[in-house]
Amino acid sequence: MILKRTYLLLLGLILLSSFAVVQQNETLNKIELLTTQTEFEVGSSIILKFSTSKKEQPLLYCSNSYGSTVISSTLKNNILEFYIPENITKKIGVVNWKLLNETNPLSGQLNINPKAEVATLETYIGPPSIEAGETDYTMLVVIPTDSLDNPVPTNTLVNAKHQFLTSEETDDIFTKNLIAYRNIYSKKESGRMLVSSESIGINSKEFTINVMPAIPTDFKISATRPHDYADGNQITTFTTSIIKDKQNNVVSDGTFVTFFIKNKNQNILKTTGTTIDGIATSKMIHPDYEDNWNVKAYVDGMSESNSISVDYKQVIKDFDVAFSEKNRLITVGPLQSFMQQMIPDGLHVKLHIYKNNSRIETLTKTSFNGYVNFKLKSAIYNHGNYDFTIETAGISKEFKTKKLW
Amino acid sequence: MVGLSKNITRTILIASYIMIVALIISGVSALFSYLNTGADRSTMLHTEIQKVEQYLPKVSWEPLKNEGRPMDNQTLNALQSDYLDAWYVKQIAYNTNKTAGIKDYYTDSARENLYSFIELNKAENITIEATTLKHNPTLEFFSQDGQLAVITDRNVIEYKRVFKAEKLVLETTETSNYKIVFLLEDGFWRIRHMVKEDADIYDNKTEPISVDNLNIKGINYYPQANPWNMFGDEFSVDTISKDFKIIKDAGLNSVRLFVQYEDFGKEHVNPKKLEKLKQTLDAADAHNLKVVLTLFDFYGDYSVMSWTLNQRHAEAIVEAVKDHNALLAWDIKNEPNLDFESRQKAVVIAWLDNMIDLVKSVDNVHPVTIGWSNTQSASILKDKVDFISFHYYEDLEKLDAAIKTMKTEIPNKPLVLQEFGLSSYSGFWKPLGSSDEDQANYHKKIQEQIAANNLQFMSWTLYDFTDVPTDVVGSRPWRRNTQKRFGFIDNNGAKKASFKYISN
Repeated sequence: MILKRTYLLLLGLILLSSFAVVQQNETLNKIELLTTQTEFEVGSSIILKFSTSKKEQPLLYCSNSYGSTVISSTLKNNILEFYIPENITKKIGVVNWKLLNETNPLSGQLNINPKAEVATLETYIGPPSIEAGETDYTMLVVIPTDSLDNPVPTNTLVNAKHQFLTSEETDDIFTKNLIAYRNIYSKKESGRMLVSSESIGINSKEFTINVMPAIPTDFKISATRPHDYADGNQITTFTTSIIKDKQNNVVSDGTFVTFFIKNKNQNILKTTGTTIDGIATSKMIHPDYEDNWNVKAYVDGMSESNSISVDYKQVIKDFDVAFSEKNRLITVGPLQSFMQQMIPDGLHVKLHIYKNNSRIETLTKTSFNGYVNFKLKSAIYNHGNYDFTIETAGISKEFKTKKLW
Repeated sequence: MVGLSKNITRTILIASYIMIVALIISGVSALFSYLNTGADRSTMLHTEIQKVEQYLPKVSWEPLKNEGRPMDNQTLNALQSDYLDAWYVKQIAYNTNKTAGIKDYYTDSARENLYSFIELNKAENITIEATTLKHNPTLEFFSQDGQLAVITDRNVIEYKRVFKAEKLVLETTETSNYKIVFLLEDGFWRIRHMVKEDADIYDNKTEPISVDNLNIKGINYYPQANPWNMFGDEFSVDTISKDFKIIKDAGLNSVRLFVQYEDFGKEHVNPKKLEKLKQTLDAADAHNLKVVLTLFDFYGDYSVMSWTLNQRHAEAIVEAVKDHNALLAWDIKNEPNLDFESRQKAVVIAWLDNMIDLVKSVDNVHPVTIGWSNTQSASILKDKVDFISFHYYEDLEKLDAAIKTMKTEIPNKPLVLQEFGLSSYSGFWKPLGSSDEDQANYHKKIQEQIAANNLQFMSWTLYDFTDVPTDVVGSRPWRRNTQKRFGFIDNNGAKKASFKYISN
């Protein structure tokens, strides 16, 4: 019995001791992480240390925001040292690592934290031109980065500054999602707005935003002309008042204005101009017959003017027509203007030729030195009786049964 | 006489002169017309350039609640496309340690970070094969002028294989959160900043699917007229329906069908093919048969760069038929162990592993299996599949022992003998082949063994085939001819002796 107990005890002891040995072996083979620090500032050198009892030097896998690599260690006094490469230590974010040994794979994470330092302010602003009137805005986006080209910590203060006319404003904005942004609204006035930003002592360059006038409001037009005769020669100039937006800003140069002219025959004439300092001008040649123009201007789709009425007086009261050379030469004139002066060259004269009550031809000529000559060639117009109508300056004259031979 | 020969010489000279001139002219004109051919003028407009899909991980955008300007769909698509391309060029760059393509998708200063990694890895002879399987981006910010965007991409699943000196040192799947700033430059959404905010080892625990009611007594099925091209132009639902009736009347309850990767349109699954597949399932349902659907037939490229494309293929098919009443189980791949040598065992297994996760993420009702070609491979991924499928074409004497080994290795999952059979071909190419009688005896014996070992089964196959595509067993006539005679029904439609033992 005692013997049995002794054997049992002995067996038990052996069993125990074997466990002890196993345990010791395990501690001997174990690789343990010695580095306890897991938070690092970006740019600082990082060494991961492991205690080991073996000669074996496993590799270390590590991966950051941009990529992954595998690094090897140096072994000193049973301590494995892994120098994390610079391209990993200089980028912020999580670095996950894993020790590539087969027995007890260790893994972990390091946080590489951004520095509260700004080296460059990447500034983006857009749209580059906005409308006056306190509703439109442009957006300033700032990406502050440190000297290692990392975004700065969340909630870093950025001052968004802008100057407009007499006002200079600074707004405090804070980084979030790696950027900071601010909407900058226009004021009532148009003009140029200068924008810049600052963070931790670093200033961005200057940006310019054009605050454009808003859309034009209704305006007035006027007409000026050398005289009010319909001589078909002088020019009438139409001028707008200074076109402004609803905030009283003069509209941008180049605003396109179209003048619509309706004459007494309900025909439409059109002339256009662009504004300079808010005023658009446009010209139209006088009619050559008595007429009444109704003029109205538009900035397409935005605003319109009042409508004005312009009258033109008849200049040619009457004219003579002479037939000669077997009635084949028709001389119209003298065509005389309002002071009995010869009408300036270029007045249109039309000759309608009828035979057997049907029109066979219309000839148009312009006046020269107050006269117009029509020559009817015998090769074209055979012998016979013709009717003629002569029209100019809104007056027409008929000549019945003229014989050509 | 002299005059005559002179004339002959003259004639010959002139004739040869004319011929040479003709040859030169035709040569020059051929060259001229060659130089005149080429790009059609309309190609200047770049109208018909089609985007080739290279990288299609699953992307699920969170609802748009971003700060700044409201986002429109077109811009979001452009952003997503460039973002995925940025991942793609990065994966290629780290795999080859070359910088091609990076400058299109990373800004001047961001690309330096990638270049420094490439330089380091090149010097250390490290390459990384990687892909991302899932992205869940949230649009955080979109600037008023539409030139800058910030997204947070949460739980990006990244699969990586890290090689040092061409030796695999690590295979890992990680899940990470990234915050990314994009700038629109030259029409590309380029990455300006990328910050990994969180990282973890990805551990996908798929839920096992109950297989308690699984009782497969089935057969591998191809129509007699168009084997291995079931869903092609000769697809006939009537023929299939008649065949299913024969199968049902023989006392079987299921069929195994094959979906071919390229035939079904690779990453862009052809809806017409899906329609044919559904019609087939309808026919099976009409005859009260269940269907084991084998995916990725005739697919042999398991490369990590193609994973996302493969997954889109599987996703589309599983999504389309997962609610069908006739569906019994998903067989991820037929005999993938045959590709272990040519495509690396580890890559194939990793591919299967991730494909099971994908199929289960779409369909968590139907069990999943892999059709191993032998009993030795059956225990691979035994914890991932819901039941074990293996094929057996070896000596029946050794079957019992093999099953016993499998049952000790995999005690808790049903075993399905998914392919077995014997060719009754005996002829010029194989004088000592088996006869119809041998085949009948084989099926009689194996059915006894199946019953004794309590196995579920699917035999190969219903019909003798008149033609077997060379893709199946190669072009050697002794193999092709053997493959033609595995059926229970011969070329004339007569039941062979073995038909008696089609079921137990």
